[in-house]
Amino acid sequence: MITDIKTSFDGEIARCASVAELQDIKVKYLGKSGELTALLKSIKDLPAEERPTFGAKVNELRKQMEEVISDMTARLKTQQMQRQLQEERVDISLTSCPERGALHPITLIENEICDLMVAMGFEVLSGPEIETDYYNFQALNIPEDHPARDMQDTFYITDSILLRTQTSAMQARIMEKRRPPLKIVCPGKVFRSDSDASHSPVFHQIEGLVVDKHVTLCDLKGTLEYIASHLFGKQTKVRFRPSFFPFTEPSVEVDVTCSNCGGKGCSLCKGTGWIELLGAGMVHPNVLENCGIDSAKYSGYAFGIGMDRVAMIKYGIPDIRLFFENDQRFLKQFGK
Amino acid sequence: MKVPLSWLKDFVDVNVDIDTLCEKMVGIGLEIEGVEYLGEHVTNVKVCQIKEIAQHPNAERLLCCKVDIGGEIIPIVTNDHHVQVGDKVPVALHGANLANGLHISKGKMRGEESWGMFCGAEELGINGDMYPNAETDGVLVLRSEATVGEDIRKEVGIDDYVLDISVTANRQDCNSVLGLAREVAVALGTDCRMPDVSYCEGEVPTSQLVQVDIVANDICKGYFMQGLTDVKIEKSPVWLTSRLSKVGLHGINNLVDITNYVLFEIGQPMHAFDYDDITDHHIVVRRARDGEKIVLLDGKEYTLNNDDLVIADSEKATGLAGIMGGARSGIKPETHCVLFESATFARMNVRRTSRRLGLRSDSSARFEKGIETYTNNLGLSRALHLSQQLGCGKITCGRVSIGQAAGERLVQFDKRRIAKLLGIKIPDEQILAILHSLKINATLQGNTLNCMVPPYRDDISRDCDIIEELIRVFGYDNISGTLLPKSNITCGGKTVESKQIADVKNVLCGLRYNECVFYPFGGKELFERANLGDEGYIRVLNPIGEELSLMNRSLAPNMLQCVALNRARGNDKLRLYEVGKVYLADKLPLEALPVEQKRLSVCATDTDFDTFRCDILQAVRSVSDGKIHLQRSDWQLLHPGIAAEILLDGRSVGHFGKLHPQIAANFDIDGDCFYAEISLDGVLESARSEIKYKPFAKYPSVSRDFALLCDEDVAAQDVLDEFAALPLTESAQLFDVYRDERLGVGKKSLAVTVVFRDKNKTLQDADIEKQSARALKAIKEKFGATLREQ
Repeated sequence: MITDIKTSFDGEIARCASVAELQDIKVKYLGKSGELTALLKSIKDLPAEERPTFGAKVNELRKQMEEVISDMTARLKTQQMQRQLQEERVDISLTSCPERGALHPITLIENEICDLMVAMGFEVLSGPEIETDYYNFQALNIPEDHPARDMQDTFYITDSILLRTQTSAMQARIMEKRRPPLKIVCPGKVFRSDSDASHSPVFHQIEGLVVDKHVTLCDLKGTLEYIASHLFGKQTKVRFRPSFFPFTEPSVEVDVTCSNCGGKGCSLCKGTGWIELLGAGMVHPNVLENCGIDSAKYSGYAFGIGMDRVAMIKYGIPDIRLFFENDQRFLKQFGK
Repeated sequence: MKVPLSWLKDFVDVNVDIDTLCEKMVGIGLEIEGVEYLGEHVTNVKVCQIKEIAQHPNAERLLCCKVDIGGEIIPIVTNDHHVQVGDKVPVALHGANLANGLHISKGKMRGEESWGMFCGAEELGINGDMYPNAETDGVLVLRSEATVGEDIRKEVGIDDYVLDISVTANRQDCNSVLGLAREVAVALGTDCRMPDVSYCEGEVPTSQLVQVDIVANDICKGYFMQGLTDVKIEKSPVWLTSRLSKVGLHGINNLVDITNYVLFEIGQPMHAFDYDDITDHHIVVRRARDGEKIVLLDGKEYTLNNDDLVIADSEKATGLAGIMGGARSGIKPETHCVLFESATFARMNVRRTSRRLGLRSDSSARFEKGIETYTNNLGLSRALHLSQQLGCGKITCGRVSIGQAAGERLVQFDKRRIAKLLGIKIPDEQILAILHSLKINATLQGNTLNCMVPPYRDDISRDCDIIEELIRVFGYDNISGTLLPKSNITCGGKTVESKQIADVKNVLCGLRYNECVFYPFGGKELFERANLGDEGYIRVLNPIGEELSLMNRSLAPNMLQCVALNRARGNDKLRLYEVGKVYLADKLPLEALPVEQKRLSVCATDTDFDTFRCDILQAVRSVSDGKIHLQRSDWQLLHPGIAAEILLDGRSVGHFGKLHPQIAANFDIDGDCFYAEISLDGVLESARSEIKYKPFAKYPSVSRDFALLCDEDVAAQDVLDEFAALPLTESAQLFDVYRDERLGVGKKSLAVTVVFRDKNKTLQDADIEKQSARALKAIKEKFGATLREQ
């Protein structure tokens, strides 16, 4: 009997190909009403003296069968896992993925400069685009009918309300309300009646203003060097040229070494090695005094960076109008 | 301001090459807009003398000449029969380039050697103002004094540079050759000479010829007159017209040319009156009467007002002060007595009048920037000197002078201000030397720096102006960068609002929308296409064009125009957004600044309503945790059946939905287009509160599905809200909408999953039944929705 059962078991095991079949075999031989279990139960029909031997044999066989089943289970599970892994195999070669939308290049430049300035202790503020003549001009030492008004072609809404021509319009707004120490940047849209490949009637400036005791022209240069080196690379140098703005004295035009050629001279910098980037200067004492700040005690610097121009140089964009056309193929290039 | 180098050299020695000169000028603040070498296009042309002329053996119309080009005799064949032996003429040699683009090579003409070509004025790019007889056609016969063999450019005055210099608005004194020469002298560290202003007066007293009354002495600060009798009107000498020609003027006659010359050289606009045209020989400088009419030199009639300043005689206005002379006061061939006017008119006044009448002249441009009484006398004297030099007539005796010539001004301050503002120390002796080079007489008394500023420097009025002078001459390259070592520590940062806007942008970028930037204005035609009406717009008084004249009241027109442009270029799958502003006026025309409302516009063409709705709600949710309710939108831009208005804590903050087909058609947008416009200011009013941790429930939740049969127009959210209102509801969500004939026409089935949870115990079926029954009852009563048999 035992031998028969073993033979039959071995045969079934040899044919078995799945965990499920194995389970059936286990039940058939070792289950509650399995063949081996039945055999063991039949022990009571044997004479007492045969029982120990028979019992030992049956238990021996049971142990063998359990081991076989256990080994077989492990093997079949491994096989099944291998099969599953094989079946689940996919093509992993495709590299495209949905692209995140892009911030506008002007926003990228604004964020970059603002983050830098915040790290230096500057607050970022914004102000109205439709502005009074007072803040845009008069408070900045540009009285009515002053020839300096010709420097900027202004869009007027009424005699005394206009589209701000410069973010400098924020200077007096801030200084009227707050006392030094002041470290402020104001990004925003500005408007001038001008339109060609390098001029747009709408463009973006970021104004910087510092007012405190002991602020010097050297500090202005240091700050601009800091900004320029972050925007265009560590080697970037900054050069001041004398200029005129009614609200700063001394006033300077600020050039940076051409990021395209590193200062050797190329078509971007028209062979000069320098690129004109912004206007700046020491806040005119008249402007401080207009806002009730003691110019004997406090000094300050101010600068206005054209962000469109920075973006054009940094990203190599040839025409300012591309910023406002918003062709999605243009916009997507600035995604990250 | 254009200035010929040769003219500058009258007043300052320039011993450096043109590039170095330009660099030095830029270094002290004179921006060079351009440098033109007048002889650039004329090369290898020399002065030659004709030694022999013979008839060409093979051509009747040609002559064979032998010419001396300075030690060498060469053959030239010409067709000009006017040339004579002994004439000095320009000859273009082998390899020469000419102003008209011709290139000359050696060759044979009908078998005879010709090593070049004789040139006329046109080929040299010159005219009668620049060289005697240069207005005639044919070969230019040169002065007999011309040096044989010399470069022709030297002989005809085109071996010269014209610098185009951009003068900053504060430096009116640099709008003249003399003023620029002063600056060049500073830049080169050399001296500047003054022009010759000497002259001999005749016997006729000026005061006998004319009486001057300044009525408007508030806008005419100085008025000076002196003139000429026995005047001869003739052509000016070429040296003078040549200079005028280089700055873009034509020679007219000696007196007019002199006034123009002085305008450019000294910067003083002048007017020459014909004595016979001044009725009663009485000049009155007064404000115009409102409505007064005047005919000016350009032949046009202008209507004036009380803000305009006129030069009048006892009868009527004869000229518009500082802008243009009257039609009848000009110099004529028969003029025999002339009075030069040299004056100072208030710049604001000239500016306003010139703008209002649209009249700009070299003269008004200078008056607008400001003319000092100092230059009134200098200019007048220079004009008289030139008149004498040119033999124009006899100078009248004495000067009619009204107004005080300005003198030097004292600017005084503590020299320590210099280092305090600049951050570097300039040695005292260098401070004094720099100021001296600028003709500012400076002395130091202890720490006090006393500066006597010359009258023509009206831009210098206080300490910082002097400091700027010092550093621009000392050199900005001496400034080295520091990072505010002595200033206070400040706390930087962005405003809450700007961070929130960055959050919104971040969410939208994550949802694959690209940020756009538009002009914040548009035009009537564009706004009409968006069916936005034409009321309430803030208008720009002087727009570039009508299409850029109205400030936005919605972000939609620019966005939709952009969608159309993109689609026309084949960009079909669009996801775009803008954070911009609309400008809302309380009252028009504006009396106060308008509200500038921040808005978000979002547009997508590759989506459906539900996806778009989720995108928009995510953007709103990123910065607000207020209660959102959506109701049908009636905004005219959107499809009335596929559009929602967003109520945030009960306030309307915007609309989204599918673009109205009519609007889409107006913009030529085909295919689906979804658009949203949301007031960010409105959304930010319900800004997110601080995040606070809430303990999560320990007991399990139970989920139940319901299928509810209702009419088509029942809003699913209303049904969900009934479940959500139950105390034990954790969430209620729609997972399917089913429509079938068997349900009945106009019916739908909403499949809803509700999750229940009690935070204090494990829920029993009975609890849920009780809860659900309450909601189902309310839903049936309010919306007629019944539980469907499963």
